[in-house]
Amino acid sequence: MTNYSQDVIRDLIAGELPWHQTKRIMSAYKDDDRFFKVVAVLQDRVTWTEQILLPIGEHLFIVQKGKTRITKCDCGHEFGDYKKNWKLAANIYVRKDKRSLREIYPNSDLCHPDWMELREFICPGCATLLEVEACPPGYPIVHDFQPDLEGFYRDWLKTPLP
Amino acid sequence: MQNPIVIGIDAGGTMTDTILVDKDGRFKIGKAATTPRDEAEGFLQSAEDAAEAWGISLDTLFSGVNVVLYSGTGMLNTLLSRTGRRLGLITTKGTEDMILMGRGLQAWSDYSYADRLHAVTHQHPAPLVPRRRTHGVTERVDQFGDVVIPVYEHEARTAAKALIKDKVEGICICLLFSHVNPSHEKRIAEIVAEEVKKANADIRVYTSHEIRPVIREQSRLNSVLIEAYATSRGRAQLEGIEAISKSHGFKYGVQTLLSFGGLTSIKHPRLHETMISGPIGGILGAAYVGKMIGNDNLVCSDMGGTSFDMGVITRGQTRLENEPIMDRFKLNLPTLHLDTIGAGAGMILKVDPLTKKISLGPESAGSDPGPICFGRGGTEPTIADCDAILGRLNPDYFLGGKVKLDVAKAERIFKQKCADVLGVPVHEAAEGMIHMLETDANNALRRVISGQGIHPSEFSLFSYGGSGPLHLAGYSRGIGLKDIITFKFAAAFSAFGCTTADYMRRHAVSVQIDIPPTADDKALSVFGAKVNDIWVDLTARAITEMEEDGHKKSKIRTEPFLMMRYTGQLEDVEVIAPLRAVKTPNDLKTVIAAFEDVYEKINHRVSRYGQAGFSIAELGVVATADKVKPVLIKHDLGAADPKAAHKGKRRVYLSGAWHVAEIYEMDDLQPGNEVVGPAIIEHPATTLVVHPKDRVRIDEWELLHYKHAG
Repeated sequence: MTNYSQDVIRDLIAGELPWHQTKRIMSAYKDDDRFFKVVAVLQDRVTWTEQILLPIGEHLFIVQKGKTRITKCDCGHEFGDYKKNWKLAANIYVRKDKRSLREIYPNSDLCHPDWMELREFICPGCATLLEVEACPPGYPIVHDFQPDLEGFYRDWLKTPLP
Repeated sequence: MQNPIVIGIDAGGTMTDTILVDKDGRFKIGKAATTPRDEAEGFLQSAEDAAEAWGISLDTLFSGVNVVLYSGTGMLNTLLSRTGRRLGLITTKGTEDMILMGRGLQAWSDYSYADRLHAVTHQHPAPLVPRRRTHGVTERVDQFGDVVIPVYEHEARTAAKALIKDKVEGICICLLFSHVNPSHEKRIAEIVAEEVKKANADIRVYTSHEIRPVIREQSRLNSVLIEAYATSRGRAQLEGIEAISKSHGFKYGVQTLLSFGGLTSIKHPRLHETMISGPIGGILGAAYVGKMIGNDNLVCSDMGGTSFDMGVITRGQTRLENEPIMDRFKLNLPTLHLDTIGAGAGMILKVDPLTKKISLGPESAGSDPGPICFGRGGTEPTIADCDAILGRLNPDYFLGGKVKLDVAKAERIFKQKCADVLGVPVHEAAEGMIHMLETDANNALRRVISGQGIHPSEFSLFSYGGSGPLHLAGYSRGIGLKDIITFKFAAAFSAFGCTTADYMRRHAVSVQIDIPPTADDKALSVFGAKVNDIWVDLTARAITEMEEDGHKKSKIRTEPFLMMRYTGQLEDVEVIAPLRAVKTPNDLKTVIAAFEDVYEKINHRVSRYGQAGFSIAELGVVATADKVKPVLIKHDLGAADPKAAHKGKRRVYLSGAWHVAEIYEMDDLQPGNEVVGPAIIEHPATTLVVHPKDRVRIDEWELLHYKHAG
């Protein structure tokens, strides 16, 4: 089985690995311990100490905080219980008119704002754009996914959930 | 012995090979490691090695020769390492993104089958011009060459100014349908030239209709960009080679090889045509030797350190590929067709400790650091190390003894990294690795032969390249070939092939001439005149270019050709015109008949379909001028006993057991000699392994015929 050093995984996550090396990793069988290495690298990159249980976005993690499991941004902002949709606790900017949509698509055709709007979910802690949704106006905010943490650790990683 | 008059040099990924040829066609070879940073270094070392073999000094060599042929890797490396020139592009407005979109297949063209399916690994090659230096100009010519929208000259001027301000080193112009009507490209080129002059800048302008006026704009665009991007450094490398040859007394200009199999000077205006030249030499050489010995159904196989190239010659005819891929860019550059797989003696071996899965390459140890046994710092076991461990390579005679092989070190590391992981004895593991490589090559050869739809028993296999003979027995076993032939000069066969080429130019232009099946003589004469006008024009161009290269007009032969198809088909067939000009309706009928003949040969008689009409897609002219070529000399056959070449015995591991093999010096084997395995036939630059009970016979041309036992 292939095996990569922590440094290689760190560069991979940072997007600093040269393409030919990235491609080789993509083409090879996945290494057994990739998840743990990735989590260790991510843990190194954040400034807080709560243990990462599962990364769920470019900046978002489910972490163990005391007895609770919460969604947390890499800046440290906390969104609360991971079973609740974190988007509801984010700052939301909705682009629902031509002027604001034009900022995103300066040179091309636009969607009709009556039919589609863009919702941007922004971290209240660091103002990073965390997620974007394209929905018809009035559509409820989407809960992207709610992971089965227990099952994932038990059946796939074969280690107890911390 | 007379002094040589031709030097042919082929710089490959690993080794630079030299062949010297004298007036009677006798030759000697030399070899040195390729030096990619400054190719002149490897060139000189390789030439020195050959001069030494001939017994003359470098100065005597260079001052005596008429022709220096060089085929190198400078341009390809420039492209691969993306270190070419800073370019700008002007194109038809609305097609500016063409360069980013590319052809879909460019995203996966050199991938393994698994990765082709694995879309997440697909990645377009980095563009040679960034989008921000691509400018669109409003204009439009349609597919008939009619102007639909005139050039908006002010836009061209603005684009030129912006590019000059961007400090580009070259400006490429590629418009839609410029191969049909180049007037807009010409006008924009004039405007750009004016602006460049005004700004007093040093910027070269390239137009697609001059570089390659051939249909399919992506390939045309790629051809222009690569010419502008990579050739200046490549030309500098070639000029370096010329300068160093001249400093040793060479009196003329250095020549290089074109991808469609001819020679040209290094001042060639479309130097990208010489980019895929290395492996082409082998095919030319094979076709030449085949003709000489009267054997014209050939499969060529070239195994070096990195790759295994295969080519097919059917009834003396080499195949041209019209849109080859170079570093994942599709070009419309006619190139002798080759199939390549990654398989060579430099392949790095890896064993997965968990699954015990063995992988060969795809990386090669190259020449620097090279295999472990070279003792130059290589730490990864390679196939060459296995060959050394099994006694197949003579540790004291590699490159004639210039490189001492450290077999003990190779064995130690191979044991630790491969054999112990697999849990099998070292020699068994090493032979297994070699077997894997040879099986890969064997399968690839079978695939290439069956792709021709012709039975292997009609084909003879030519084996060359530094490690061709070393693995020949394995990769040719069981295919059922008519004959298996290798050469005393196998290691420099590609360089030899270069020296068999003639000076050549190939000019072609896309056309759209559709001849209905019902065309009467009047219509035919109109079509004929169209064809003829283009041929006359192309012939004049080709001759002018060759004259500029110093060839006498009386020595230049021209041969017109056409790319034709039945109307409605998607692929062309190349037809060498049976006459030099089309003057009457009957002449055109003769041309059509020639097309149908070729079509019938490639496909089948029943596939003729003249009722559909005939379409001419491309017209071209090949101009050639002769050059001195090496010849093979026919000798009388002598006794079968090869004792004159015998030089000792050595323990060699073959077919799962140690044998005491007889060792022969390849150059001392005489016509008529027959060697029975287990034996090793050694040459300073290559090694032929003869497996137990297999036989090698030397024929009257001094070619080595390998015969498998039973």
